[in-house]
Amino acid sequence: MKFLINIALKNMFRNKLRTFVSVLAIAFAVIVIVFARGLIDGMIESSYSMYIHYDTGHIKIMDQEYEQKQRLLSLAYTVDGIANKSLSEMENELLKLEGIEMVIPRVKFGAAVSTEEELVQMMAWGVDGQKELKFTNLERELVEGRMVSSGNREVVMGTELLRRIDKNVGERVTMVFNTAYSSFQGATFDIVGRIESNLPLLNKDLVFMPIDTARHLLYLEEESTELLLVTDDRDKAINYLPAVKNYLSANEGERYLAQEWREGSSFIQLLQVGERIYNFIYIFLLLLASIVVINTMVMIVNERTQEIGMMSALGLKKKDILKLFILEGGAMAVIGSFIGSIAGGTLTYFLSDIGINYGTAIEDMDILMTTIIYPNFKLEHLIFGFSLGIVITSLTAIIPAYRAANMDPTEALRDI
Amino acid sequence: MALVKLISLEKIYQQGKIAVPALRGIDMEIESGEFTTIFGPSGSGKTTLLNMIGCLDKSTSGEIIFAGNSINQLSRNELADIRRYNLGFIFQSYNLIPVLTAFENVEFAIRLIDKHSKKDRRDKVMHILNEVGLGDMAYRKPNELSGGQKQRVAVARALIKEPKLVLADEPTANLDSETSEEVLQIMKKMNEELNTTFIFSTHDPQVMEYAKRLVEIKDGRITKDQRRD
Repeated sequence: MKFLINIALKNMFRNKLRTFVSVLAIAFAVIVIVFARGLIDGMIESSYSMYIHYDTGHIKIMDQEYEQKQRLLSLAYTVDGIANKSLSEMENELLKLEGIEMVIPRVKFGAAVSTEEELVQMMAWGVDGQKELKFTNLERELVEGRMVSSGNREVVMGTELLRRIDKNVGERVTMVFNTAYSSFQGATFDIVGRIESNLPLLNKDLVFMPIDTARHLLYLEEESTELLLVTDDRDKAINYLPAVKNYLSANEGERYLAQEWREGSSFIQLLQVGERIYNFIYIFLLLLASIVVINTMVMIVNERTQEIGMMSALGLKKKDILKLFILEGGAMAVIGSFIGSIAGGTLTYFLSDIGINYGTAIEDMDILMTTIIYPNFKLEHLIFGFSLGIVITSLTAIIPAYRAANMDPTEALRDI
Repeated sequence: MALVKLISLEKIYQQGKIAVPALRGIDMEIESGEFTTIFGPSGSGKTTLLNMIGCLDKSTSGEIIFAGNSINQLSRNELADIRRYNLGFIFQSYNLIPVLTAFENVEFAIRLIDKHSKKDRRDKVMHILNEVGLGDMAYRKPNELSGGQKQRVAVARALIKEPKLVLADEPTANLDSETSEEVLQIMKKMNEELNTTFIFSTHDPQVMEYAKRLVEIKDGRITKDQRRD
């Protein structure tokens, strides 16, 4: 075997240009795979994180009716406690369930600010400032001022939203909104913080205010439009969900709905399907690159027909000839895949720091995705690209190798 | 006991719907240590006969007995084993592996046998290369050798495993007469010293001069079989 490896490696350098082209084709495919995997992983991770932070939590509890009307920011279907217990008692009971580490209440409603030119519409969130800072990335994105504190009539807004209403941190803003009784109300707030984020929702649509202030202004009791449960591990949330559902149905029948984060968004479900489809695309891509290798190997077999006949005459068996050619194709696969995974990894590592700005391409899409996507550099992506490159290319090298191994030695020796 | 015994050997090639007979009933015995030349015009069946004896091809009918065993029913792998351990081949176009040195090309044949230590292998290869006069060119690649030197490497490769039988298909066809003479001298020497059996197929009168036995073949039949002292 060692001897066959030695010959296979030496054979690779017989026609250096041809070997170089084959190796380059494999390397290029592996670069694309490693980079695409990093990019898609980064995109998916970013989306998962955004959806979990700003939409679903790990488990989201809401009124059954609210699920249909949440896009309308309705205040008619709230979570207001369970079985004659208050919302805070309900939160405490939820915290006792296995895996639940935090309960985050949010009151979401529509609001508007009138400027000289236009009525700027926005989405207002009544939140527990400290919990939000702990759970989301807001700490990093709060570039000026501070987060809202309970008991105060104050707001935090995104940079773009502040620009549109022509206000700055430290100034005051008057907002109008509909209360839970559908009456039109107005209130003035201190602007205490500014958020600068790649997430369009945070930058141009959202205004945070203390949840107690929001409840007071909206004439809500101790209510939330939704409760987000944070578990010790997002991937285990699906395991904790049945206990949450049991708790809700045992106390309140079918009134409340609990959804695991994956169920909450069709975009996340789409990404998950996409993740599987991409694996097929990677294999297809490598098969394309393998055509170059097959072509090279077919040429090699044709050129070395007499040599195959000679080796057969010396007593080399069919399986040895098969091994010899697979080893040669395999060696090209190893070199190409190695170069490809290192180059692809380097590119991913470099861009994981800088990010790729999708800018306006996704800005207006109704999805929670940041405008700058950071490819995810992971060693497993390099190993995946490297292994897939070797396996697929070596497998395709079997086709010409099999042809060589099956050659009739007398026919092969006759070949000129 | 004859080393090789051919009994009513026939080979018919099928070319489309046409059956082309290459051998039409060959009966022949070859004893150990013979230096036999098979000659005849092109297309007479020399190479086909050599391929049959060399276990590279199977006959259409008849029987081949090699070292007392019939090889007709053997599988492709079993035939490869016979070639690996018992037969040496020398080809007209040398058929050396261009990426290997002369040493490695010769070593290739005994690497397949797998019974020698690294040191034994090295000693054996250098010994045989010295015997064919290429000891100082052991680490040259085929493209750095002349035609005669390449054929000497091929001879060394055929003889390194001390086979029972060496088959040489037109071994001097690409060599000038002086080089042919040198190569034939080496083979003759090996035949005498090691009692290795040689069978040549050739047109070359120079090769025929060396033969102890001349077998003429025409249209797939033996037309003359003459032994010389």
